[in-house]
Amino acid sequence: MAHALPLAGVHIVDLMWVIAGPSATRVLADYGATVVRIESTRHLDTARTIGPFQDGSPGPENSGLFQNVNAGKLGLTLDMASDAGREIFLDLVRWADVVTESFSPQVMRSLGLAYDTLQQVKPDLIMLSTCLMGQTGPMANFAGFGNLAAAISGFFSLTRWPDRAPAGPFSAYTDYVSPRFTAMAILAALDHRHRTGEGQYIDQSQVESALHFLGPALLDYTVNDREQTLAGNRDPHMAPHGVYAAAGDDRWVALAVQTEEQWKALCGVMQQPELARNPRFATLTSRLAHQDELDAIITDWTRTREALDLETILQEHDIAASVVQRLYDLYDDPQLQHRGHFVPREHPLHGTITVENSRFILSRTPAWIGRTAPTLGRDNHEVLGTILGYSAERIAALEAQGVLQ
Amino acid sequence: MLSPYRVLDLTTERGLLCGQLLGDLGADVIKVETPGGDAARRLGPFYQDVPHPDRSLFWWAYNRNKRSITLDLSSLEGQPLLHQLVAKSDFLIESDTPGALAARGLGYDELAAINPALVYVSITPFGQTGPKAGYADSDLIILAAGGPLVLTGDDDRPPLRVSVPQGYLHASAEAAVAALIAHHERQRSGLGQHVDVSAQQAVMQATQSFCLAAPCNESEVERMSGGAKVGDLVVQLVWPTQDGYVAILFLFGPAIGPFTRRLMEWMHAEGFCDTATRDKDWIGLLTQLLTGQEPLSEYDRLKRLVGEFIITKSKAELTREALARGLLIAPITTIGEVADSEQLAERDYWHLLDHPELGRSFRYPGPFAKFSRTPITYRHRPPTAGEHNDAVYRDELGLSAEKIATLQGRGVI
Repeated sequence: MAHALPLAGVHIVDLMWVIAGPSATRVLADYGATVVRIESTRHLDTARTIGPFQDGSPGPENSGLFQNVNAGKLGLTLDMASDAGREIFLDLVRWADVVTESFSPQVMRSLGLAYDTLQQVKPDLIMLSTCLMGQTGPMANFAGFGNLAAAISGFFSLTRWPDRAPAGPFSAYTDYVSPRFTAMAILAALDHRHRTGEGQYIDQSQVESALHFLGPALLDYTVNDREQTLAGNRDPHMAPHGVYAAAGDDRWVALAVQTEEQWKALCGVMQQPELARNPRFATLTSRLAHQDELDAIITDWTRTREALDLETILQEHDIAASVVQRLYDLYDDPQLQHRGHFVPREHPLHGTITVENSRFILSRTPAWIGRTAPTLGRDNHEVLGTILGYSAERIAALEAQGVLQ
Repeated sequence: MLSPYRVLDLTTERGLLCGQLLGDLGADVIKVETPGGDAARRLGPFYQDVPHPDRSLFWWAYNRNKRSITLDLSSLEGQPLLHQLVAKSDFLIESDTPGALAARGLGYDELAAINPALVYVSITPFGQTGPKAGYADSDLIILAAGGPLVLTGDDDRPPLRVSVPQGYLHASAEAAVAALIAHHERQRSGLGQHVDVSAQQAVMQATQSFCLAAPCNESEVERMSGGAKVGDLVVQLVWPTQDGYVAILFLFGPAIGPFTRRLMEWMHAEGFCDTATRDKDWIGLLTQLLTGQEPLSEYDRLKRLVGEFIITKSKAELTREALARGLLIAPITTIGEVADSEQLAERDYWHLLDHPELGRSFRYPGPFAKFSRTPITYRHRPPTAGEHNDAVYRDELGLSAEKIATLQGRGVI
């Protein structure tokens, strides 16, 4: 790495855990922020218990999820409830520009570490709290994970076949949406502080952030008083539009015909040019009216062909199509390889592990993953000694007292 | 927060959310539309189902806190105007096919020559270069290429997408973060750069790191309606109640086990499980199941018991008890229930925006976070096409009324 990273010199004390919060600070670490993740060995981060696991073997140091969302961070294990632990934490607050936490509301207050307290230690501190429902309101203390927040914010009812129970998006959907809002809130607050010297407190409800991904459906209700009808994979502006069976077990090709040119090209590729002249399929309106028939015709053509061959020939004709990539396909995807999406790093326990790269590229100052995610307590000495300037004797005493766990 | 900064938003329907988020954070966002209005204004649903450029709810959803000008970027007279705006702007966002703007003399290199401090953000399906950079695309294609699609839906049907297109929203939100990171760098160096956002990579966030299954040498997760298959473990998340569905995280282990114990205590009190079942080791059970110490049939038995209990309850009762008892249960809400949520009302979430052109106010999703010192404000309802032509061309670029009229007459603005 030959360049100074954009966020070099930004100090973050990170109490967030599981998926949503750490995914946000991972991005900031990619671009140079110094992030100190505080963990407890007594109350393990749930992410350490979620796969994918190295070699399929569960264990707190084996979680690919934990390693992915915490790469680039320093790790400190700390008993925050102890007096000595609290003092260490407050020393870190003095060092920090930003403190982040994702506990249930009241936890920081019950620890005596709410924003008004921290601000006395560090007047221009930025603190961000993120939780499912926000810090206030009758459901503020509703505990849970992103899959429950996805259910309560409407994503499940919008992800289903019309004749079936809600399927829901995969797992903890709001945990994948909300980190961007977390990161941009911190970045904007930092810019404000840079210009004015003012810190502030940010209350992020992951539900309230994620609802910005449902804007048109929410407005359809608040404006037109209408619940959007469920579409399966169909689209009001495109036909054919769907996921079609290809040769092999659970192999599929996604196809989206957006223009009349693409429709004619598809008929040509399928060697059924007469379809394009058939009045039942001649316009978008007529195709939308005969989608079942259309889907059957296309499936007859796709089901005997390899998904990748379908993607290739359709894209050669400028028709939007893609293999529905399985998880293993992603690792071999030539585009992701070209982008350098999978980054191997040496790991003290596993030899080499792989994490995802930044999801965007800055032309002059690209991301740099400077270290793997912390094994438990890996950076205790670096954080206490190098960052806080504690003596070796003092650190040893803290260790002996059981504060660093 | 970002009020000192100006954003030129050249995006198509792929990238509109990015500028809106920067606008929410306070930036002056100018949506540069094609004369007559952007194509995204033709996307439904529409207010009162009347297709009209000023009635597209898709447009409304992603264009508040922006001003709008119209400008023909292909015309010889239009380009110098854009150049003048670029010289006075901090960010430019675009979501054209890679190379399309460069072919019109509006690529990063050309505009950086005018304003070296410009942060130029490109949102594309697969990134600026690479074997798939020129691929035709759509929401469904991005989700297929990036991994979330195969994980979603019923196991006996094709993979399924969310009915509200999601792919480019991930990319656009990612782009707002990227723009601000480049901005922080600019504060030090004085230089802008080209930010290259790939929607494919953005949506991979929604695989919950299972896109690393291959390098981890781990088995693949497979889709299942209302849950997921993790190896041999079939995790059920969606459960039928008396009057709809709830999501329940019925799992075990150090974090989730205590919640599950409280659910089993409630079931026991109402006679839906025996004492031995209630008192199982809910912390250790996950490991026991994964290692075969407990047979998977035991997990099936427990799920059956929970199902028999949940079907006797209403969504409202389950939600109330989840809060009172500390259970991992949430109602599966419809959009209407979200809009009428007591929690959101109590937090004053919704925001009324006045649409004088329609003589009505409408209720919008509110600020994405609450900032104590610099709260997000909704300063502009989504603009009509060219609504701010005068304000921008006259007040900011100093064009005379005659010049503006001439340009309008020639269809440039």
